[in-house]
Amino acid sequence: MKRRDFLKQASLASTAMFLPKFVSGFNLIDDAIATGKKLVIIQLSGGNDGLNTVVPFRNDIYYKKRPSLAQQKSNLIGITDEIGFHESLIAHSNLYHNGELCVINNVGYPNPNRSHFRATDIWHTASDANEYLQSGWIGRYLDMTKSKSLDAIEVDDSLSLVMKGETMDGIATKNPQLFYRTTHDPYFKNVVSHHDDAHLSEHNLGYLYKTMVTATSSAKYIYETSKTYTTNTEYPKNEFSKQLKQVAQFINSGLQTKVYYTSLGGFDTHANQINKQKRLLKIYDEAMAAFIKDLKQQDTFKDTLILTFSEFGRRVQQNAANGTDHGTANQVFVIGKQLKKQGFYNPMANLSNLDNNGDLKYDIDFREIYTSVLNNWLEVDASKVINKSFAGVNIV
Amino acid sequence: MILQEIVHLYNRVGFGISPSEAKLLQKQSRTEIVTQLFDASRNAEPLSIELTELITTLKGLKMKDRKKIRALFKESAKKIHEMNIAWLYKLASTEQLLVEKMTLFWANHFVCNDKNIVHFQDYQNTLRKHALGNFKEFVIAISKEASMMKYLNTRQNKKQKPNENFARELMELFTLGRDQYSEKDIKEAARAFTGWNHDIMGNFRLRRRQHDYGEKTFLGKTGNFDGDAIIDIILAEKQCAQFICEKIYRYFVNDQIDTLHVSEMTELFYKDYDIGKLMRFVLTADWFYDEKNIGTKIKSPVEFLIGIHRIVPMQFEKERELVYLQKLLGQHLLFPPNVAGWKGGRTWINPNTMMLRLRLPSVLLAKGEIALDEKGEFEDDFQRFNDKRNRQRRLKVTPDWEAFKLNHKNITNKQLQETLLVSPLNRGTKQYLDKLADQDLPQYCIQLMSLPEYQLC
Repeated sequence: MKRRDFLKQASLASTAMFLPKFVSGFNLIDDAIATGKKLVIIQLSGGNDGLNTVVPFRNDIYYKKRPSLAQQKSNLIGITDEIGFHESLIAHSNLYHNGELCVINNVGYPNPNRSHFRATDIWHTASDANEYLQSGWIGRYLDMTKSKSLDAIEVDDSLSLVMKGETMDGIATKNPQLFYRTTHDPYFKNVVSHHDDAHLSEHNLGYLYKTMVTATSSAKYIYETSKTYTTNTEYPKNEFSKQLKQVAQFINSGLQTKVYYTSLGGFDTHANQINKQKRLLKIYDEAMAAFIKDLKQQDTFKDTLILTFSEFGRRVQQNAANGTDHGTANQVFVIGKQLKKQGFYNPMANLSNLDNNGDLKYDIDFREIYTSVLNNWLEVDASKVINKSFAGVNIV
Repeated sequence: MILQEIVHLYNRVGFGISPSEAKLLQKQSRTEIVTQLFDASRNAEPLSIELTELITTLKGLKMKDRKKIRALFKESAKKIHEMNIAWLYKLASTEQLLVEKMTLFWANHFVCNDKNIVHFQDYQNTLRKHALGNFKEFVIAISKEASMMKYLNTRQNKKQKPNENFARELMELFTLGRDQYSEKDIKEAARAFTGWNHDIMGNFRLRRRQHDYGEKTFLGKTGNFDGDAIIDIILAEKQCAQFICEKIYRYFVNDQIDTLHVSEMTELFYKDYDIGKLMRFVLTADWFYDEKNIGTKIKSPVEFLIGIHRIVPMQFEKERELVYLQKLLGQHLLFPPNVAGWKGGRTWINPNTMMLRLRLPSVLLAKGEIALDEKGEFEDDFQRFNDKRNRQRRLKVTPDWEAFKLNHKNITNKQLQETLLVSPLNRGTKQYLDKLADQDLPQYCIQLMSLPEYQLC
């Protein structure tokens, strides 16, 4: 066998698709392009040290617990008489002053888990600490609204738990062109289906074909729609910026997708935290600056809500390696043009009332935030997605 | 036995079969073949990796050296990955198909995870030891595994302060199923398991001072029950036999329960809880070979990967990539998502995993490229997180086509198709395959494996 033919065949193999009638009749994309509200979720993965991000620079306990790690006032961007932002958060301080940022302090949940994996699952599934769910809150949002896979996109190569529902999963793609190329082959155009294979529609095989069609049609729609927009905003040259640039392209091109998910990793700063965190927050802040600028230029910022969280904050007491260990509650940033509450939603964490582990006791359950976002921004009944009733926080 | 039935049997109790093996078996009867499967699975070979040094160090420590023990196993975290790979290799090469497949089943029933590789390896082999044995002995043995006692907090369950976690999961997940007992039953059962603990090497120890010797009322019975007695009482409920039979039916026969068949199974299993007998009954039953049960199950990622390997052997240069594939496909062995295990069935499939599965045969066997980067680990620093993203790449895999050709002498395309695909064929696909009929066998094999139909077994 000739090697070239072999490769060619092999690539054909991957996309050899034959659509039975029951799937070709399957409604692929909403007819009307949705222009509604968008939600962008960003995870600072690894556990960002919130206490050194939004800093209580008048608090003695803070300095006592962090002899070599505490941020000096002179290094901070002053926000209030008592609170300063980390020096890397330049764009965020501007957002704060524009009334486009709401900082929700001390967000957590009862009996916090300090494992990255477990804590991330809890945030993704909106579960209690002792409850193990296999579907994420965005996935269940898709289920409940009978949405399509492409209504929630994770800008990555594989799908996180947050995007997986009971019956519907979101789609992961980092590069729509590549995604399109993998799912579309010239060969596909020759697809013929003369026969009615209705008997397969209930069979698992029918399910596989349908999923395949979803992937293919989503890839086509995402690629063809998103390529109609090219940004002229300059983004920093790093992977996280590239992801946000991709999200902006999706939003600005009018993609129907409602929820986007992306993450920035590396926040697990057990040692030599100062420089690491400074660099990471800079990457985060600068990418956000470009992203928001891009959205504002197309007037899509007003319909976009950006939620930034980390699976946990870090221990109040620093460790011996000039770093911090896994902690509990942390702040959440909510960014948007239509915030009901701007600036600080609530007071900073009380550092004199720590749990047995020396960690913060949370004030606001993270599901309160999800509840408000679902009820007031995505306009669905949050209790059906969260499976529990929360009053919500008055932010949007 | 006819070819289709042979393939079906081997799909369910193993990872498929090669056309030449299937050909040989055609001369034998169903009972003969099933008996051979059982004979091959007698005395399950344990899964073992090199742990001598670790065990020696561990023996030198005391239970109270908790920090040291924790440090030791943090250090040895890579051993868990070694065991993961060793398990895959075992599945790829074993001739003890039935017992290994049962072990996979039980590992997703008595779900557990542990960082202590010494204990975790014991747990693994307890699964093997009892996989076709007596269910009651199995429940007792697995409940006394150190890994399980840690995973479900049995160790923290003390007379003074009972912890209900184990008692609850024992009933909900391991034996009876949800809502078959009251909260009171859980509390009473938890009391019976108080004081259960293990020594440093993982051997079971009853801490008498922490055990509650008092009277308990459980599922309507009253007495000074200990843990074993509780398990006895649970198994006396027919519901327990039914719960297990339903699960076995869904795993080995069909996602959709046929109540008549399951009740036949339950009647048999309830008599003595002999798993081997139950499986022999299922595998020889006429209904097991019903058309509606053939080619209807969606392969788990492990079934998919091992199935490819057993037809075209592959050598992974970087074991890390094998780990990465498991994660992408959604089943990283030894790392279950939670105590309920993988849900299986249609939950394996979403647009991303579907496209990945269709691409994978050409990526693995024909140096196809794949644009999938691993998600960063939490512990990775940013540099690593940021490096090498957004690229197509090739996996470092070498398929052994020589071995394939050797194993498939005188095998026609049609014969290969009949062993690789058992589900009903979508007609468009069928016509497509007819057009490819004169391709050479390796090419044709890749084509077959790239079809949606190949995802079913």
